[in-house]
Amino acid sequence: MLFSSQQIDTTAGLKAEFKNKPDGQFRPDIFRVSGYEKGAADPALSTTVRRALAIRSLFTEPGAYIYKNDLIAGSIRPMFVVPDDAQNAAAAKYAAEFPERWFANNSDHYAPDYRTAVETGIPGLLQKINESKQTHQNEPQKVDFLDSMAITLEALIEKFRQYAAKTDELLRGLRNGDPAAEGYDKGRLEFIKANCEALTRGAPQTFAQGLQLVWMLHHCFVCEGRYAMALGRIDQYLYPLFRADLNRGQTTDTEAEALLANAFAKICETRFRGGDDVVNICIGGVDTDGALAVNELSYCTLRAVRDVNMPGPNLSARIAPGTPDAFLDECLKVIGTGLGYPALMNDAVNMAALRRYGYAEEDVRNYCMVGCIENFMQGQQPPWSDGRFDPINYLEKLFLEPDDDIADMAEFMKRYEKQLEKAVEDYVNATRAAAFVPDPENQTMPFMSCFCQDCIDRGLDINMGGAKYPSVHGAALMGVGTVSDSLAAIEKLVFEEKAVTLSEFAAALKDNYEHYPELRAKALAAPKYGNNDPFVDKYAVWYTQYISDLFRNYRTNDGGGYYTAMAANISNIYAGAGLGATPDGRLAGRPLSDAASPTYGCDTRGVTSTLLSVSKPDYSNCACGTVVNQKFTPSAFVDGKREKLLKLIRVYFERGGQEIQINSTSRETLKDAMEHPENYPSLVVRVSGFSALYVTLAREVQEDILSRTQHEEL
Amino acid sequence: MAAEASKRGPDGGANDLLNVSCVQHFSTGDGPGIRTTVFLKGCNLHCPWCHNPENISPLPQTLVYPQADKRVSYGRRRSVDDVAAEVLEDLEFYGLNDGTPAAQRGGLTLSGGEPLLQSAVAAVLVRTLEARGVPAVIDTAGCVRWQYFEPFLGHVQAFYFDYKTGDEQRCRELLGGDLSLIRDNLTRLLAAGEPVRVRIPLIPGVNTDIAAIEQICAQLTAAGAGSVDLLPFHRLGSGKYAALGIDYAYKNTPPPGADVIDAARKKYEQYFDCRVE
Ligand code: SF4
Repeated sequence: MLFSSQQIDTTAGLKAEFKNKPDGQFRPDIFRVSGYEKGAADPALSTTVRRALAIRSLFTEPGAYIYKNDLIAGSIRPMFVVPDDAQNAAAAKYAAEFPERWFANNSDHYAPDYRTAVETGIPGLLQKINESKQTHQNEPQKVDFLDSMAITLEALIEKFRQYAAKTDELLRGLRNGDPAAEGYDKGRLEFIKANCEALTRGAPQTFAQGLQLVWMLHHCFVCEGRYAMALGRIDQYLYPLFRADLNRGQTTDTEAEALLANAFAKICETRFRGGDDVVNICIGGVDTDGALAVNELSYCTLRAVRDVNMPGPNLSARIAPGTPDAFLDECLKVIGTGLGYPALMNDAVNMAALRRYGYAEEDVRNYCMVGCIENFMQGQQPPWSDGRFDPINYLEKLFLEPDDDIADMAEFMKRYEKQLEKAVEDYVNATRAAAFVPDPENQTMPFMSCFCQDCIDRGLDINMGGAKYPSVHGAALMGVGTVSDSLAAIEKLVFEEKAVTLSEFAAALKDNYEHYPELRAKALAAPKYGNNDPFVDKYAVWYTQYISDLFRNYRTNDGGGYYTAMAANISNIYAGAGLGATPDGRLAGRPLSDAASPTYGCDTRGVTSTLLSVSKPDYSNCACGTVVNQKFTPSAFVDGKREKLLKLIRVYFERGGQEIQINSTSRETLKDAMEHPENYPSLVVRVSGFSALYVTLAREVQEDILSRTQHEEL
Repeated sequence: MAAEASKRGPDGGANDLLNVSCVQHFSTGDGPGIRTTVFLKGCNLHCPWCHNPENISPLPQTLVYPQADKRVSYGRRRSVDDVAAEVLEDLEFYGLNDGTPAAQRGGLTLSGGEPLLQSAVAAVLVRTLEARGVPAVIDTAGCVRWQYFEPFLGHVQAFYFDYKTGDEQRCRELLGGDLSLIRDNLTRLLAAGEPVRVRIPLIPGVNTDIAAIEQICAQLTAAGAGSVDLLPFHRLGSGKYAALGIDYAYKNTPPPGADVIDAARKKYEQYFDCRVE
């Protein structure tokens, strides 16, 4: 036992402490100033060393903050300041002189190499840096960069010392009855102190120390102003320490769960600076040898995320064909609480997709996700970047100057493909330009580079050839449903039934169907993606293959792949807002279909048909990842019913579905559906011998369901 | 009237079309595994609490839901092959070849209305699917001539046999059904060794008091039943009544409380293996 078991609680205590929000603004730039100024005093220092000095002041000047309910420490509270004009001016001056990279040029959405960090410890990494300096002693630029890396790691060690000192201060306060220490717990403080001190000396020796290291590193990345930094495969890289603790009788599953929840809860601290972070945590899958990797820690992680029960920790579960049903069932139980996590990832498809890019097989097996769903080689490639590609826009172009001489659908498709070919080229050029950093040698990221293979060995920055693999870019293809439905409507109405010519169709689209209600009715009645209808499904298959093939012809600036994705978040709403009416019957300004899903409300035959359609495209084309959302009422997650969802998912994955994000509709959703039925056209309520669309139920019946939902959540 | 209704012949005998109300994929309450439920249109009873009022009349009907801007049409004559093809689309989901024991596999559920009114054609559907390994559950109120059961004997995964009341008069007046016919059919099915699950809807004011439950238990024991499923009343169907423009006698009846369900379950458990759906 590492801390007394009465100290294990849920995350309620921490959440209560979060209610007291810090004043001021989250301002990393303010804390960089003194580091830059110190560097300015010595003109011989290189830019990268000056950046490192700025990181040192950023890490060490704010000071430590420990929550009364902490077990794993590291808080961004001290980063909140109310700066005066002089401080603002100084920060602005250095921000202009040392511009930071941002999303488009590979600065966040990164999964650090926590495995090596946990195995080696910070002092061990410093040692490696020293060795590399020996190797590269005749390459001053590399030595310089290695020095800058070392500065940031020493600053991290200083941070651990500060946290240990803070525990001392609070422990003293407890003894002296100091009001500042009121409510703190001696056992917790001693636990944190011992862990932080151990990490200044060497590699973590216990699970708790391993987690403390990882959390503090994550915390440092957040201090740097980054977001969407993933924790990656925490159930794998912390497992050896957990196993050793178990063998020594020094921990239990319950303890590990409590520690993980304690760390994960602090992800939600980013709310203080506005908005939820997306910190991807990946569990399950296979190990680097290809053996099934679900272990006790996978379950602890799953339950810890459930305990936190807030957006921020974004859990992904890799489901391999042999992943035990028990694990998938546990995932469904957590999803059934209304959390919406974990997202379920089809390991077989994701690995097949990644294999296309020439990664070593053991690295492919070790993939994780960053951000929402983007597949990533943990700690082996520069931070992620992506953008939105709207194939529907280029279909619209064919209607600007409609050509009635187009004889058949095949010729129409040829014209569309030509448009897409050019559009992809333009997209690639634009993103390559955006990712181009005018002065890369000076826009180094020495701290992050410490946590990317092989930056230390090569003495190179993560974005300058240090990373084992080159950077990749993900093009998020929008609106597969809208495009497929539109092409099906064109084929049916223009070429098959000859009910309308292309130029008539064009006129109707321009008119937003206002004077063409009959054509719109026909367009809406044409086959729709998501009903297992081959007439339209073939276009989704084509879309996935053709556009991904186009992107595969291109490379990022440093030679990495252009991946494709079908994952929209809410960008399908933006993409639709600026677009005119489409041939599927959609009116101008309405959202496009979401992610890899059919157009909302158009898959009317039930979830099996939806998944039969959606599993037709070959998603090994989409190395970035895809998202299919499905909602079920909470009754689908009770004992005796979950097995049906489980079977549904297994079949979907066997058929080649890539991802499914299942949601249990919460009370809030059901209430919202009562007020805004138009937003919930396909929510089904199932009971024996009966089912109905939720929105068609009488109001008092919706109330019945609401009251039952509350009951189930208790 | 009840007797007359139950004497009506299977309309499927004359042609080979099914009068299908609707097909529902991924049904989770209608039997083991993942099921495709084919709702057949037309019923010879008229239970006032019925949650599928659109399935009582054999005629096509369109339900209009202005609040959700939706129209849903029920009732279409469809060939056995057409319906079978739709059920077979979900073949992979039924778990036929993954080691799932036969009794737990998914498949077709025939519901309604009273599916046995279309016994002859429905049996062709069941046998067509049986040939592909897809099992069938028949969800029946049991108030039809024994001959309507015959083509299914030995060919179904289970009969889900509704037993709504043990009171002859109530059965006649409330449902328009002949309880002795229902009892006979149940007894014969069980005697023939057919897999039967008795399903009892728990209807407030009809069969939730202890006397009514005792009466049902006695009759089910006499018939040789071993297990019952309790289906607590819900008024999910009231929106459909409104859309049909029919007054729903149960629209103000809330679902039975947990105490009522619990008391019923305890009673039934004294005699049967009992499950609450
Ligand atoms: S037997 Fe079933 S379908 Fe027929 S009226 Fe009664 S509840 Fe409705």
